[in-house]
Amino acid sequence: MSESSEKWELRLYTAGQTPKSVAALNNLKRVCEEHLAGHYTIEVIDLMKNPRLAKEDEIIAIPTLVRKIPAPLRRIIGDLSNTERALVGLQLRQRSE
Amino acid sequence: MNRMEDPARLDAEIASLKQRLEEAEDMRRAITNGEVDAFVVGQGENNSRVLLLAGAYQRYRQVVERMQQGAVTVSVSGDVLFANQRFSDMLGVPMSKLFAAPLEAYVAAPDRARLSSFLLVAARNSSIEVRFANDTGTPIVARVSLASFSDGYLTLLITDLGPLHRLAEACDQLSSVREALTALGRASGLDAATRKSAEAIGTDLTRLCGSLTSLLDENAAVAAAHTATESPSTVNR
Repeated sequence: MSESSEKWELRLYTAGQTPKSVAALNNLKRVCEEHLAGHYTIEVIDLMKNPRLAKEDEIIAIPTLVRKIPAPLRRIIGDLSNTERALVGLQLRQRSE
Repeated sequence: MNRMEDPARLDAEIASLKQRLEEAEDMRRAITNGEVDAFVVGQGENNSRVLLLAGAYQRYRQVVERMQQGAVTVSVSGDVLFANQRFSDMLGVPMSKLFAAPLEAYVAAPDRARLSSFLLVAARNSSIEVRFANDTGTPIVARVSLASFSDGYLTLLITDLGPLHRLAEACDQLSSVREALTALGRASGLDAATRKSAEAIGTDLTRLCGSLTSLLDENAAVAAAHTATESPSTVNR
């Protein structure tokens, strides 16, 4: 497990409080507390309020998590209910071939 | 420069394509597994929109369907796009009949012009009193408040003022009874016990009338606040 001391900046794009958006935020908080405790910030962007903000990170499906820092930028699409896939997407765990 | 002569650039391009492929696969998997419930369409500055998949707001819709206030979404010209069960019940008209129908068809004729004007210029939270007509022709006095306006559609909350009006009538009747009791208490020929009872009942009625009046005043204040926010200049159509 690549636990990092670097400050992680994560951005979660949501669509108001749809079930998948709420689930994604809850799952993200859980993963962060378990693997990045004290080393992360989560910015939640509600695209229902301002859809134009989707352009910056080329968001198509919601919810989508964007790892801004550390580079490179990574996008993880979905409600993060599959923890294994979320960890691989965040590169906190190696993809099992 | 020839790409084939620049292995580093080729590697970078392959890495970028690989990442895009992974993201595309990730999206396919997320959609297949039902992990997303909304999409962004239109990537331009001014035409980006979020489209929700059916079911994304199912719970919220259940609240709207079950709430004790009517809710209706209409176009600026007044055609019904959506109505909740309460509004349907209020009018005694099936929901299927309301869809795409002109709202003014269910508004008392003298109030139709006022409602049309309201739909054109209403500001958020502003309200007007309108008489609706149900399927039996019985007038229903209701407060129509603008909850939101977007994409050319207005969502209106409809509050049946019938109970409030009946409350006001009850208050008036109580006042009459209280006055009668007061007069009775002053009448000669009553024994002390009867007079005392009449006074006690009168006191209770006075208290009850005070509570009812306060309720009515509070409601009137809310209505006045809503009406005060109405301003044609505050909404862009």
